[in-house]
Amino acid sequence: MSNNKKVTIKDFCHKTGQLVELDVPEFAPLPPPYDKLDLQPKFKALADETKEKYETDLDGITAVKFPRPETEEEKRELVGKFLSGLKKLFDRENNWGFLQPLFLTIEYCAKCQTCASACPIYNESGEQDIYRPTFRAELLRRLYKSYVKKGGRFLAKISGDDIDATWAMVARTMELAYRCSVCRRCAQTCPIGVDNGLVTRELRKIFSQEMGITVEPLHKKGSVQQLEKGSSTGMTPVAFLDNIEFLEEEMEERTGLNFKWPMDKAGAEILLIHNAGEYLAWPENPEAFAIILDAAGIDYTLSSDLMGYDSVNYGVWYDDVQFAKVALKHAQIAKELGVKKIVLGECGHAHKALTVIADRVFTGDFNIPRESSLTLLHEIVKQNALKLDPSRNDHIVTTLHDPCNVVRLMGIVEPQREVLKAVSNNFREMAPHGVHNYCCGGGSGFAITQDLNFPDWRNSVSCRAKLRQILDVFQDIIEPEHNKYVCAPCSNCKGAMRDMFTYYGLFERCNILYGGLVELIVNAMVDIREGFLEWEWH
Amino acid sequence: MSELQLLMYVAYVVFFIGTAYRARKMATMPVHLRWDLYPIPHEKNKHHYGGSYFEEIDWWTKPAEVSVTSELKEMSKEIIFIQSMYYNNRPLWIFSFPFHFGLYLSIVFVLMIFLSGFLGIFGFEVSGTTSNFIGRALHYLTMPFGIIGSVLGCFGAVGLLISRLTREELKRTSVRSDYFNLVLLIAVFASGLYVWATEDMTYTDLRAFFTNLVSFKGTEPVSTGFAIHMILAAAFLIYLPFTHMTHFVGKYFTYHKVRWEDEANVKGSKLEKRITEALGYRINWSAPHIKKGTWAEAATATEDGGQNE
Repeated sequence: MSNNKKVTIKDFCHKTGQLVELDVPEFAPLPPPYDKLDLQPKFKALADETKEKYETDLDGITAVKFPRPETEEEKRELVGKFLSGLKKLFDRENNWGFLQPLFLTIEYCAKCQTCASACPIYNESGEQDIYRPTFRAELLRRLYKSYVKKGGRFLAKISGDDIDATWAMVARTMELAYRCSVCRRCAQTCPIGVDNGLVTRELRKIFSQEMGITVEPLHKKGSVQQLEKGSSTGMTPVAFLDNIEFLEEEMEERTGLNFKWPMDKAGAEILLIHNAGEYLAWPENPEAFAIILDAAGIDYTLSSDLMGYDSVNYGVWYDDVQFAKVALKHAQIAKELGVKKIVLGECGHAHKALTVIADRVFTGDFNIPRESSLTLLHEIVKQNALKLDPSRNDHIVTTLHDPCNVVRLMGIVEPQREVLKAVSNNFREMAPHGVHNYCCGGGSGFAITQDLNFPDWRNSVSCRAKLRQILDVFQDIIEPEHNKYVCAPCSNCKGAMRDMFTYYGLFERCNILYGGLVELIVNAMVDIREGFLEWEWH
Repeated sequence: MSELQLLMYVAYVVFFIGTAYRARKMATMPVHLRWDLYPIPHEKNKHHYGGSYFEEIDWWTKPAEVSVTSELKEMSKEIIFIQSMYYNNRPLWIFSFPFHFGLYLSIVFVLMIFLSGFLGIFGFEVSGTTSNFIGRALHYLTMPFGIIGSVLGCFGAVGLLISRLTREELKRTSVRSDYFNLVLLIAVFASGLYVWATEDMTYTDLRAFFTNLVSFKGTEPVSTGFAIHMILAAAFLIYLPFTHMTHFVGKYFTYHKVRWEDEANVKGSKLEKRITEALGYRINWSAPHIKKGTWAEAATATEDGGQNE
């Protein structure tokens, strides 16, 4: 074990034992009140027996929980499978969807390290070499040169960038593919246009698509469960309808509105799909949507069809085939209902999955227009379809978190701001924001990866940049007597924040809450009973 | 014809064919899934804050608001000033910018020398004393372009090399070929400057050499210094297409075909045709959840094989 942050590719392939040791005091310092180290939770070290059981030789953390192979034979076999997946990654037919961007990244990086300055995980970790955006890319580049390119190994030896495919390397790469949230800030700063964030996803694909090695909450309990039961939450269509009924009652109690959700209405203008996690964890969000759309007279429907009520598509994070399966299912449901468009609720990755990436999966009648709810909400507010009184939110100071998938990766920047400004007089921007925002830290599946000590890593490393931004934007009113609200219009970001806020006690210590955008809108609607937004932690 | 001339022909042929091969390889890759990244400069009124047409209600019913000027402006800032590095990696930009700017000047310089050579075939004189304005202009312009270009290029490349050798993070991620590339470039620039300073202040010999080169005539014997410079330049041209230094080609694709490519798939479009073709590609990934066959079959498979245990 070494405390040395400087790691070479050679170390990565050949050193035995845990490569780096993470320690809270080495991470980038935080603004008050978390400048005091004793307010930062200790890193949970894994028990020795856990370390012996699972591959944790990268940094003592595990997202994949891959059992250590016992024999050399097993290791050889796994390395062989890895290399066969590697070859498919560069194959025209097997990886058509990303071959060109991948190839460009592999071929043209000049190793200027400009991207390192943009990476929150690298910088917040105290500049751990292994988290450098170029590190994964360099691994993949050398693997490509040594094992895929014809005659490559000989030339790679001459140029000095050959690599040995050892089991240590494969095991560490497996974990390293889950230490980047694919926010793609690195790609934004690259002078050449290389995309090291993409490399993360491509590496995950080798493990998932070839070796069947995945992170359980993403695959088995994620996309597989969604395809089988209808939702990655495990909620079946029957359970969904039960839930809806329950929420209708609850909403009546809360708001006094007698309300029924439009369900499976054929020919409706819009099919609205939420992240199903909202119904369970933040039901006030779909409720607020219902109130707003009803008040604005929008013709829409929900779907209780298998998968029609869960917009998530975890394939976007690790697997092209799972991605396509889920996306096609969503399109098919919309097609059968005969809606004019699909509108996605406040869920970032679902936005990017269905509107952007899947645009090149849908052909013919499957290509039904897809739109962001933020755009729709902006239109509703612009048309003055709601009676709003922003002073109802005057007791709260708000800031806006930009979900990477919606903003940097889709260019939806202003609608949510315009809406927020229309319902909040005390809005302030984080720095940086918009397309240059920092990831919540829960991107690419991190928010739902809860096993062992991965949440410690997420909360203290990958969420750290966002935590810093939140503390900074509210620094002058950080005392608990001021109500502060981080508006995060994305289920996944909210999931990451829920954990991070709990981990650091942000609500108790600083009185900061997080939540969606629609809740603030409804809270400002004059026709709705005051106090829709409850100022309490739940 | 001298061996040196022959080498130059080989160099130019390898350079052009190699570069074209690379470009062709990139251009003929299958359609990729959308992977755009904002800001996108051709978004007419939205570029300044990174917005896209997705901000518009029912965007598919509205014409795309595209601005070519905005895109060209962004491209020139990136190509000429390397602005992303200026903002995100200033310590390296102070060398990278002069290096690249020196290269651009040198390319213009070489083009002017070529042009002089072609003009020479028709007996058109390029010199400081000719009565022809164009001939005089070419004569005088080559000097600042050649000299400033080489000085900046040399300075930048030396700076980049020193950075790679001394800055911890660069040192740790550099390999032999990274150093070799820079050393070769320094040698090309420095030998050029040496020949200029010691024997060819007006580039007259160089022009004569290129006149013979483009007219396929034998050449006068050249000095050892001159020959060394030419051999180095030829070696660089031959080597270049096989390295990441062809990013002048790559950059077109990374920006225009990935990062800024926001073309929506419209029913009946050429893009849709390419997608349909790709969906017919065979898939043979080995994980149990993937059904073998075409992509269309794998993506619509209902049974879900074995799972990851």
